Amino acid sequence: MTTPLLAVFKKELTDTLRDRRTLVAMIVVPLLLFPVLLIGVAKFTQSQAREAEAKVVRVAVVDPMNDSGVAARLGQQPGLAVEQTQDVSQLPQRIRDEALDAAVVVDPTFQQNLAKNRPGGVTLMFRSSEDFAVAKRRIQTGLDALEKDLLDQRFTAAGLEPSFVDAIAVQEHDITSPRERIGKIVGGLLPYIFIIFCFTGCMYPAIDLAAGEKERGTLETLLTAPVARRTLVLGKFLVVALAGVVSALIAMIGLYVSVSNGIEGLPPGALEAVAQLLDPVAIAAVLAILVPLSAFFAAGLLMLSVYARTYKEAMSLISPLMVVVLVPAMLALLPGTELTLVTALVPILNVSLATKELLADTAEPLHVALVFVSLTALAAASLVACTRWFAREDIVFRS
Amino acid sequence: MVAPVIAVHKLAKRFALSRQQRRTMDRKSDVLQAVDDLELTCKPGRIFALLGPNGAGKTTTLRMIATLLRPDAGSIHVAGVDALADPLAARRKLGFLTGSTRLYDRLTADETVRYYADLSGVAPADFKVRRDRLFAQLGIDAFADRRVAKLSTGMKQKVSIARTIIHDPDVVIFDEATSGLDVIAARAIIAFIRQCRADGKTVLFSTHIMSEVTMLADDLAIVYGGKLLYTGTFADFTAASGERSLEDEFVRRVELAEAQETRA
Repeated sequence: MTTPLLAVFKKELTDTLRDRRTLVAMIVVPLLLFPVLLIGVAKFTQSQAREAEAKVVRVAVVDPMNDSGVAARLGQQPGLAVEQTQDVSQLPQRIRDEALDAAVVVDPTFQQNLAKNRPGGVTLMFRSSEDFAVAKRRIQTGLDALEKDLLDQRFTAAGLEPSFVDAIAVQEHDITSPRERIGKIVGGLLPYIFIIFCFTGCMYPAIDLAAGEKERGTLETLLTAPVARRTLVLGKFLVVALAGVVSALIAMIGLYVSVSNGIEGLPPGALEAVAQLLDPVAIAAVLAILVPLSAFFAAGLLMLSVYARTYKEAMSLISPLMVVVLVPAMLALLPGTELTLVTALVPILNVSLATKELLADTAEPLHVALVFVSLTALAAASLVACTRWFAREDIVFRS
Repeated sequence: MVAPVIAVHKLAKRFALSRQQRRTMDRKSDVLQAVDDLELTCKPGRIFALLGPNGAGKTTTLRMIATLLRPDAGSIHVAGVDALADPLAARRKLGFLTGSTRLYDRLTADETVRYYADLSGVAPADFKVRRDRLFAQLGIDAFADRRVAKLSTGMKQKVSIARTIIHDPDVVIFDEATSGLDVIAARAIIAFIRQCRADGKTVLFSTHIMSEVTMLADDLAIVYGGKLLYTGTFADFTAASGERSLEDEFVRRVELAEAQETRA
């Protein structure tokens, strides 16, 4: 025989899985969002970068004495088209009209100053914009090469080695493991995915199973069935919480598939590091945290949903919460926020921090346990509150 | 004397009114006495009509009997069960159908009925017998596997009826069950109420339509402002009305109560 709890669970699950709106929010969006977003963004930035590289930068060089060597040096630089001119007055207008990308004006005293071992003056004229970054880098590289030649000449003239100016040679040796490095980056992003998709995964079933029942006029009949209210609430709660977990898992699978199927332009070694992140222990710990998080969301959202009279009202009560949920998730990205005995007790923030540290393999077991216990306690308290809320006739029959 | 199947004694219920409700209802008090010292007795195997204008407290009374709402005072017994002490046991004896009842669009007719049977703890063997009989009686077999969303209003109503009595309750309560229905659909409900009586069930139904009372009621009560204005058998009520039509008699009694209230 089917117990009432199982009957409620089965019915609500069937009902939820047959709702197209919920299915899209719970499965389709999380599954496709990351592949589409990541691949799309990667493709877009790459094509932008290629375009910028392919573009020839037009530079005018004004060299009154024609003896600085600037024009020749810049001419050797790939991607630069150098035009020599003497007409300084027209340059600002030509740059504004985009007939030129930049102009380099050499001081008439350039060689005189060099001869006295002083810096030779050069003016770089441009319109600052993001597009100019590529052009500026190319011009700068050309000028740097010229400067190095000139310096080498000076040192040789003075009888010194060019290394004379390097008093300290620093060699960097970073002992951070790739897992730790990537873990902090991915670990900062991953909790977002969890938290957002866990929340949206819970959101639609929660609205549908409480406010939706009210709006459709099925709640009253359901309540006349000889089943304790807490059984009804528990059955609904289990389906909503399950939807949150499933949705978050699907989002992670989507992310993993899109990353491991190779996004063009991903730095080499990143894939290995990501593979390293998928340490079974860390994954199990992350999932263990996901369950109480989803339970907490499910109980809270069901409470709001049963208070609302209609689907629409529930939606307007719940959607602002999305921001409330995101703020603590975002705090975890701030430098210096770490999992401590205190932050382990802050809901949502603790999920973010714990995930980050678990994936980077820097988590203290005590802190992680504390996150799990505090979240579970919070979820249990929310479920109790939710059950009480369902028992209140002024809430259930609110008109 | 036979023991009543539904016995309601000194029942009272008040609601807190929000500011908006006070404004729309034009009331100064912030509470509404929806049901006030109400007495009802429904005898076994008979149809009892609860008659009253809108806002008389009919729905609140029926919801209290069905243990959806908890009374502030008074007692309710359903088929020998103290409904306040053991609401679950009371609900097991009850079937409840309202005019605003709708079904889960995404379940099939069969799943809908099975769900309520499972909720009521109907044993599988009993379920099979009752389901087969009800489905044949109501002609649900033809669309048992179709989703409710795809059913016509009449078909949905049949499913609602099957859902209401799948656990074979002693008492069936109808709250304005014909409101908003067309003539054909309303007739199906009337026929169902009669069938319940023929099956030996006790029926309590609320309405503000006098013709339904004439067609169905063995006993009736008139409520107004949460108070009982009249209770007795339908035969006694007809006799007391004399030359007046039943509707005139109903309106006369309500208006009398209204006038008394204004004077007070």
